[in-house]
Amino acid sequence: MTARIDRAVVAGVACAGLLVALAGLIERAAGSRFERAREEELLYYPSGFMVRQAALGYETAAADIAWLRGVQYYGEHRLTDQKFDMIGHVMRIVADLDPQFVEPYVFGAFVLAQELKQPERGLELLERGMRANPANWRLAFETGFLHYVCRHDFAAAGRYFTWASRMPGHPDYAERFAAFANERAGNTGMAVLLWKQVLATGNRYMQDVARRELERLEAI
Amino acid sequence: MTRVLAIARNTLREVARERVVLVLAMFGLALVVGAQALSPLALGEGRKVVIDFGLAGASLLATTLAVFLGSTLLHKELERRTVYSILAKPIRREEFLIGKFLGLWFTTSMLLAGMAVILLAVVTLAYRDTPWQILGAVGLTLMELGIVTAVVILFSSFTTPALTAFFAVAATVAGHFAEDLRYFASQGASPAVQALTQGAYWILPHLDVFNARGLVVHGLSVGPDRLAFGFAYGLLYAIGIMVLAGVIFRRREFR
Amino acid sequence: MPRDRKAHLPAPSLTSGLREVEPLPPVRLENVSKVYRDPMTLRPFTAVDGVSLTLERGEILGLLGPNGAGKTSTIKMILGLTRPTRGVIRIEGRDPWDSDARKRLGYLPENPCFYDHLGAAEYLDLVGALFGLSRVASRRRSEALLARLGLAAHARKPLRKFSKGMTQRLGICQALLNEPSLLVLDEPMSGLDPIGRAEAKQLLREERDKGTTILLSSHVLSETESLCDRVAILHRGRVHEVGGVSELLSSGVLEWEIAVDSLSDERAAILRSRGHSVQSVGRRWVVRVERESEVQEVLRDLVQERATIRSVEPRRESLEDYFVRALGADGRPAS
Repeated sequence: MTARIDRAVVAGVACAGLLVALAGLIERAAGSRFERAREEELLYYPSGFMVRQAALGYETAAADIAWLRGVQYYGEHRLTDQKFDMIGHVMRIVADLDPQFVEPYVFGAFVLAQELKQPERGLELLERGMRANPANWRLAFETGFLHYVCRHDFAAAGRYFTWASRMPGHPDYAERFAAFANERAGNTGMAVLLWKQVLATGNRYMQDVARRELERLEAI
Repeated sequence: MTRVLAIARNTLREVARERVVLVLAMFGLALVVGAQALSPLALGEGRKVVIDFGLAGASLLATTLAVFLGSTLLHKELERRTVYSILAKPIRREEFLIGKFLGLWFTTSMLLAGMAVILLAVVTLAYRDTPWQILGAVGLTLMELGIVTAVVILFSSFTTPALTAFFAVAATVAGHFAEDLRYFASQGASPAVQALTQGAYWILPHLDVFNARGLVVHGLSVGPDRLAFGFAYGLLYAIGIMVLAGVIFRRREFR
Repeated sequence: MPRDRKAHLPAPSLTSGLREVEPLPPVRLENVSKVYRDPMTLRPFTAVDGVSLTLERGEILGLLGPNGAGKTSTIKMILGLTRPTRGVIRIEGRDPWDSDARKRLGYLPENPCFYDHLGAAEYLDLVGALFGLSRVASRRRSEALLARLGLAAHARKPLRKFSKGMTQRLGICQALLNEPSLLVLDEPMSGLDPIGRAEAKQLLREERDKGTTILLSSHVLSETESLCDRVAILHRGRVHEVGGVSELLSSGVLEWEIAVDSLSDERAAILRSRGHSVQSVGRRWVVRVERESEVQEVLRDLVQERATIRSVEPRRESLEDYFVRALGADGRPAS
């Protein structure tokens, strides 16, 4: 009888220990709770490789945990100090763990470009995404979006929109945007159209940003 | 074969009547349901999160069970001396060991399959779409379980439960690094270290072969060639390990 | 062509082969030794030392000896659970390591233990499958055996709720399930109450009368002396003596005990003066007479005195006494 309970306890504790260790590693990797003072440490954190090894074959689940933490990190700071310094790092870790997970590239690039005003870093993240998922229209489309809205590089935007419009599963508007951008017909009009598209299709946080941008452009 | 199956059936019954199994099964159910509750936080990626957690939880639980139940399986027989009256029957030592292996493998496989079915049901209900492709990943995990179970039986055929659990966990963890070992070998400092890493590379099970979770969560299905390779590799590796375990167990003396 | 030539050869005559086909003994041990090594110190320990023993078909052979004499070690080698360090063991001419050698063998371990998670009937199903019995045959046989050993009412009870005696009786069931031609029983009487012991003895006698060969071990002689056709005395791993019980222990009647209801002080004094011991036990008297020849004389005297004689019993040597006598100071049970 006691042997039975002992075994149950041992198995339970070992199981819990494993999960805690895994969660702890991801927590560290996601780093969302780190104090500012410790952020410099994180610069030396051997991100992808180590975390990937630590996940022991459960990389995609680990990526989800990091993703959930990243989203929460965004939400918390959105409501308080508007500081999103770690978001790029977290999304890169997500990408290391699960390169086929598209949303983090898009979301991460979006936050980097719009909230941190670092479109170059956003484009970097998207480029990584495209290398891992060369047939994904969304990554190409978002790249075009950043080129158009943030860098006003209409030629590049046109190129990426065109690319997106040739990929499987792309929506109708991809072609339209490609055409517009290639024509370079009036910056604001295109920008408004793009933001409206985000308002219609993006997730809640992206919609908030789109609404803000549209208000600024006095399009609503 | 009837003798092997008789031992397997008895092992299944023995293991299934352990309370740990029930506890872990509940834990697995809670995980799948909990992941579903978590999904609104995932910015529209709830489906992926549920499938990821469901698959990871199922395979982790089944592996944990295989290691912890398996490590005490033979030892308990010796300690309670139930093995004496069994091995005095017209059964070969190897048949007894294979029966134990099959019984444990079948039990953990049932748990895995059960959790996969629950996962399919939860996703179907929540997202009106059944992710049939996860069955491919579950099938490969089944073969991984076979290897883990065989490794556990091998160690338990000559060492204590604590050491068995330790070695089996170590082999499982190292098995996930197996692919990287070749890289480490090429970077090895001394020829001795290089030879050692090379050796480990060939001996350790390459458990990455059985990890198709990254594929199926993104809606891709596991190709028939990958499945075939996984099944062949898993089967061969498990058979190899069981042969070794049989050789060791045959020589064992039951004082 | 060899096949053709063989066809032309005369068929081997039946008689010419017969000389070689002498019936094989059920169990034969030839100069068998078992040396264990301590797993830590590797110091050798000889548990069985040059044992030679042959069982004959349909006999009950008792393997007797104090604890640690090597009885269980010998039995485990016969079952193929351990291998002899030296010597040869054959079961009907087969190596015990060969699992087929155990097809018609029934074994009851010392203080048996069966799976906690099963019921008695479930356990016997498992045993039946291991013996290769059909499901129907196994069920029929196990029901009969459970009924015979008084366990029919407990067939579904989980074994963890079984008492020691019930477990022992289930152990006898599982040993008899395959209708064995050879039964190996390690301390079969331990854990049984006197009634259970009498029933078990009866059952074993019936088995022997059916032609089953029985090897049983015991460290208590009185349990087995009425049962065994022959006994082998094992001491410190060696066979000390083999023979019929009466042969070995005929000189073993130590004294005669005469119990009487009343005894005058005078008579008691006379008896004492003749060298007999006289003791009052409760309301009775016990007279102990050493020589058989004097028993008649003492009895005659007692009858003349109208003492009521309650019983006259030979007090036999116990196995422990036997060891003291036969092995001298060295006869202490090896620890």
